[in-house]
Amino acid sequence: MLWIARRIGVAILLVWAVASIVFLAIRLVPGDPAELLLSQGGVAPDPATVAELHEQLGLDRPVLTQYIDNFRHLLSGDLGQSLQDGSPVAGEIARRLPRTLELIGVAAVFAVLLGIPGGLFAAIRRDSALDRIGTYLSALALAVPVFVVGTLMVLVFAQTLRWVPAGGYVPLARDPLQHLALLAMPAITIGLGLAATVFRMTRASVLDVSQRDFVRAARAKGLGQARILLHHVLRNALMPVVTVLALHLGTLLGGTVLVEYVFNYPGLSGLLVEAVNARDYPEVEGVVLVISVLFVALNLVVDLLYAVLDPRVRTA
Amino acid sequence: MKLTRRSALIAGASLPFLRNSARAATTPGRLVFGLSSYPPTMLPWANAGTAAATAKLMFHRGLLGYGPDGTLRGELAEKWEHAEDGAWVLHLRDAVFHNGAPVTSADVAWTVEQVAAEKSTAYLRAEMQRIARVDTPDAKIVRLVTKEPMATLPYLLASYFLPVVAKDSTKDNPLGVGAGPFVMTSEERGVALDFQAFDKFYRPGLPKLKTLRMVAYADENLRVAALQAGDVDLIEYVPWQSMPSIEADPKLSLQSTPGPFMYLTFNGKVKPFDDARVRQAVAHAIRREEIIKAAFFGRGSPIEGLPLTEGTAFYDAKLARGWTYDPAKAKSLLAAAGVGSGFSCKLLSTAQYGMHKDTAAVVQQHLAEIGIQAELVLPDWATRVTLGNRGQYEMAVMGSASEYNDPDGLTSFLAGNLAVSYVRSFGLDIPKIDELLAAGRAEFDDARRHAIYTELQQVFLDQAPIVGLCFRAQGYAMSKQVTGFHNLPGALTFYSGTTLEETTTG
Amino acid sequence: MRRVRLGPVIAVAAIALIAFLVPLLPLPDPVHMDVAHHLSAPSMVHPLGQDEYGRDVLSRLLWGARTSLAVAAASALVACIFGVALGLVGGFMRGVVEFIAVRSMDVVLCFPPLLLALLIVTLLGPGARTLIPVLAVLYLPGFVRVAYAGVLSVRSQDYVEAVRALGAGPIRIMLRTVLPNVAGPVLVQFSLAAASAVVLESGLSFLGLGVVPPAPSWGLMIGAARATMVQAPLLLLWPCAALSLTILAMNALCDALRDAVDPHTVPGRVRRRILPALPLGRAPTGTAVLDVRNLGVAIDTPLGVIHPVRDVSFTVRAGETLAIVGESGSGKTLTGLALLGLLPSAAYVHQGMAWFQGHNLLRDDEVALRRVRGGAMAMVFQDPLSSLNPVHRIGRQIIEAMRAHFDVPHHEAREEVVALLQRVGMPDPERRVGAYPHELSGGMRQRTMIAMAIANDPRLLIADEPTTALDVTIQAQVLDLLADLRRELGMGLVFITHSLPVVAEIADRVLVMYAGEIVEQGPVREIFAAPLHPYTAALLQSAPQDDGTLPIGIPGTVPLPHAMPSGCAFAPRCTRRQEVCDAQHPTLTEVAPGRATRCLRWRELA
Repeated sequence: MLWIARRIGVAILLVWAVASIVFLAIRLVPGDPAELLLSQGGVAPDPATVAELHEQLGLDRPVLTQYIDNFRHLLSGDLGQSLQDGSPVAGEIARRLPRTLELIGVAAVFAVLLGIPGGLFAAIRRDSALDRIGTYLSALALAVPVFVVGTLMVLVFAQTLRWVPAGGYVPLARDPLQHLALLAMPAITIGLGLAATVFRMTRASVLDVSQRDFVRAARAKGLGQARILLHHVLRNALMPVVTVLALHLGTLLGGTVLVEYVFNYPGLSGLLVEAVNARDYPEVEGVVLVISVLFVALNLVVDLLYAVLDPRVRTA
Repeated sequence: MKLTRRSALIAGASLPFLRNSARAATTPGRLVFGLSSYPPTMLPWANAGTAAATAKLMFHRGLLGYGPDGTLRGELAEKWEHAEDGAWVLHLRDAVFHNGAPVTSADVAWTVEQVAAEKSTAYLRAEMQRIARVDTPDAKIVRLVTKEPMATLPYLLASYFLPVVAKDSTKDNPLGVGAGPFVMTSEERGVALDFQAFDKFYRPGLPKLKTLRMVAYADENLRVAALQAGDVDLIEYVPWQSMPSIEADPKLSLQSTPGPFMYLTFNGKVKPFDDARVRQAVAHAIRREEIIKAAFFGRGSPIEGLPLTEGTAFYDAKLARGWTYDPAKAKSLLAAAGVGSGFSCKLLSTAQYGMHKDTAAVVQQHLAEIGIQAELVLPDWATRVTLGNRGQYEMAVMGSASEYNDPDGLTSFLAGNLAVSYVRSFGLDIPKIDELLAAGRAEFDDARRHAIYTELQQVFLDQAPIVGLCFRAQGYAMSKQVTGFHNLPGALTFYSGTTLEETTTG
Repeated sequence: MRRVRLGPVIAVAAIALIAFLVPLLPLPDPVHMDVAHHLSAPSMVHPLGQDEYGRDVLSRLLWGARTSLAVAAASALVACIFGVALGLVGGFMRGVVEFIAVRSMDVVLCFPPLLLALLIVTLLGPGARTLIPVLAVLYLPGFVRVAYAGVLSVRSQDYVEAVRALGAGPIRIMLRTVLPNVAGPVLVQFSLAAASAVVLESGLSFLGLGVVPPAPSWGLMIGAARATMVQAPLLLLWPCAALSLTILAMNALCDALRDAVDPHTVPGRVRRRILPALPLGRAPTGTAVLDVRNLGVAIDTPLGVIHPVRDVSFTVRAGETLAIVGESGSGKTLTGLALLGLLPSAAYVHQGMAWFQGHNLLRDDEVALRRVRGGAMAMVFQDPLSSLNPVHRIGRQIIEAMRAHFDVPHHEAREEVVALLQRVGMPDPERRVGAYPHELSGGMRQRTMIAMAIANDPRLLIADEPTTALDVTIQAQVLDLLADLRRELGMGLVFITHSLPVVAEIADRVLVMYAGEIVEQGPVREIFAAPLHPYTAALLQSAPQDDGTLPIGIPGTVPLPHAMPSGCAFAPRCTRRQEVCDAQHPTLTEVAPGRATRCLRWRELA
């Protein structure tokens, strides 16, 4: 229990550090939200108007006051309002976050469904043609950047074959089929690289575990290949895979920007980029805060999951 | 290689059979519009870019507006005239707001008051503050009394930055209640806007569409892909490189107009750009066709003088060709300015927008040929704006459009007596130009305005406060099923959204 | 560290060399525009065509490689230096420094990489030089973690303690002892960071946050070509291909480095070969439970086929204990594994027969063998901790052994397990059924392994050094247990060990192996009293003596399998060696019934 309390304490400290750095950094960067807001069309804003807007947005207060206010609001669960149109940041994140989670989730499922059986099979049939093909394909999937994959997918499946729309987003409630069609391409684009990672990790891990003494001992018991793989090899081999996958998913929380851009998918990363471009301070801070909280929480969950998978950790 | 070519051939051969042409078909009465970005804000009087302006034109209208041919026409005002005493008099038509209330002179007075208010953040605040008072002799007549004569006021009243909003309606909803042809039904922030026809729109029979959906596609390639795939019926900001393929597509049509333009601004506070001869040298050093070809794929026309569209009232064929490409002259101008051996400087642009970046790349190359070694500075747009406003640059690439098809619409690019702005050169005030602009604005007689603006073009060529590079084609592309949409000519291209009221599909 | 595969090294080196030599190549200026010919197809002058400004694509591609690799190498290097330093300091100083050094990296990890890039780039302005700190910060945590983990694992080791005791300062300890130990993983991390930096550089440049035009960069080229992909698809192809191939090569290098640093990841292939050349033979008519004839095991190695077990024959009768004795590398363990078809993947049986219950085990297929394993013939391994699956309760693992051969109803299974545990002397068996292996002591673990082995009343039990990992008192208990079980169950026991005192205690007959061969065999008493092979004699002398005289070690080492002497394998270490010993390979000679030796001069020894 003490262990968990300590971990949570450190996590809070971590999130606070991230939030503070972002708060300062975004204000340190050149660019003024009011000026930008008033000069969208490439036309000149009146400096008096800019000053006026500064006052309205509270940007004329000393930075320390803004910082203290900001954290006071955070503690009461208020992420503030967007500088652009005054809409609540929390609401916007609540709209975007599920989309990103869904995107990452589907990509992860795709990666797991493809990567784990593939890696297992490649490890069992080590050096077979299928193993080699899988290894080369995974190397290729890791080598081709997502924006290349995405661009080619739009070219082939949307523009040429017209199987799916070229990008965008439709809520599930409005049109479930369209929703899935629009989700598929970005999810697969992310999932390919992820599947390659999972494949390689699984393969290496299965090979590693297959060499362990307890697998030999299990064979000596007269167990069948399938049972050995499922009960002895896989469970032990999956532990590092789970950790790596979880860490990858964590970085994806704010790291799907290229895919969102290429497929016009309105997720959290896109919001972050737009917010930075508009110097929408509360929005930047809110998004980063949510991402870091999720990231830290994910790490905690991985540790707990580890304890579930590995009894040694539980008692340690 | 052999393998790839063969598999490519196989794939190519099988494509037409696999192609799903029935997937996205146009629904009659419904139009999907691909915006270039999601409007950051749709506050009625703010300037939030093209996409926001187009969206606002759906549910807001001003006193005046532009017809499909680009001429000024009445919107909420049916007639307007310049009274003997110098005031502008507008006669309102019988129109109702979306909340059912009639549009009255009180709403207009309130609107002007809001825009001009001390705490206002409206784009046209300074302009509206030139109005001394708003008289409302009856519910249907508005008299705008200006502090000094303003011949160009109708253009301001036609601006999409000045919609008439129902009195006090911004209290409940910051977007206000308007009287436009469509009512916004839903707003998915960052994704799409949905509109429905307003059944009591003041033009009978309009709008022709039942529903309208605006979807944001920030990536230009994807915007085109969405049109080609049939996801959307109409897109704005057609990327230049895609124009030929759209023209070649039998299912699509393209409407483009040379509207916005690219130009160079200077920092007049640093040497040697404080010297008009150096700025002129820059003007003579650039092969504008190459910019048009490289950045705009041939879709544009050179600007070698004041950026006025060919064929408009004040265009002067000779003065428009004042800055022909002449490297020898450029070098001698540099020599005369005492920098004949060349110099190094920084050229500010932005990496965020391809056309700014590409233009800068070509300009850099051409300047090198006359001995000016320009290093590119390409921050993101936000930083570029700040650097421009603070005068932290030497030379910069800009792109914009005149605010209306009149030389007065260029004021914000030329007038050095206005407050500092990144859209015009920094610290470069040429009193003669300010004087001529003010004179033109106050002058009602066409012949005399002509003389004033001819002189302005001359002074402009000598002083080169900014250096025009080229007009760029501004395009809208649409499915052939879309009819009634018009790309308004010249600088008014961004007002094209007005014609959605007459647009039909299917 | 093993040797690194050369292919990826050459590929990456070639790419780096091209990038390095670009300024010397006769290429057109990569930023020179020729707008008149923009988007031109490949020609003699421009082999890969011209881009949207009419610039030479080949030249831009090669100069782009220079940018990409320079940025990648520089950022990985910066991250490496700072990360390793931070990790080392954090690992050594502990306390607050450790907390700050390690936790501050979590802050970096929490930051979306993109935001970090956006912030730094907008702060410093885009450009290749800005990319270096951006990427370096992103890769910092990886290096810190690797170095920190390295320090933690080394910190507690004896030699570091020793150096510390000698009064060396922390910096010297770090440089002299820790750094060499973490060098391998750091190198792997470096190659990973560099490969990933190439990807990120292109991504950031693609977004306009990276290299500033007109400087060439692959990301910029892809971003620009995307706009014209319908008119000039080749422009998209070249940089994509260059980028993908480079990353492919760099990833391959990472894998090669990792394999070299961490040999765990390259085990041999899992297979079982049944050689058609193996004789079918006829089942011997005798009382032996197991009858092994001329067993030979071969291993394919990169240096050729070796034969770690040669011509081994023996029998085991019911209720008899046969000990196989030898140093490590003598082939005794492989002999045991070969019988059950459990040889490591690179090894296979290439000759011989092994008769057990009327089958030739060596020709049995996997299904038939599976029936034998853990059933009629069971095996107990050396290290019970590693031989038990750490994630399953021991009760479950024992039930599994039973269920592999018989259908045991669920409710009975538990009772049987408890009974089995009781039988192998497990204290408090009711409770232990639900224990995980790590919760048991070494002795209890080995009892569990034995319980598992006898679960199905085997006729033969092969125990491979079952007591080596245990301390002395437990050893004795386990030996007693095995002896009791053998007696009670009437099974044959093959006891593989290197310890002669153990043999004396437990075995009826003994088989001495050296360098893959049997060198002597016979009843225990006779062999201990009068060994007929110099190796056996030497072994006896090297064992701890009851009378307290110091054991005498055997000089020299076991010959390497690749360099087997042509004569007697023991000759190089033999004190009684003569010329004849080197000249001819001795055969195993039966000197008395049940007594054989492989020494040419056994008569002189007797």
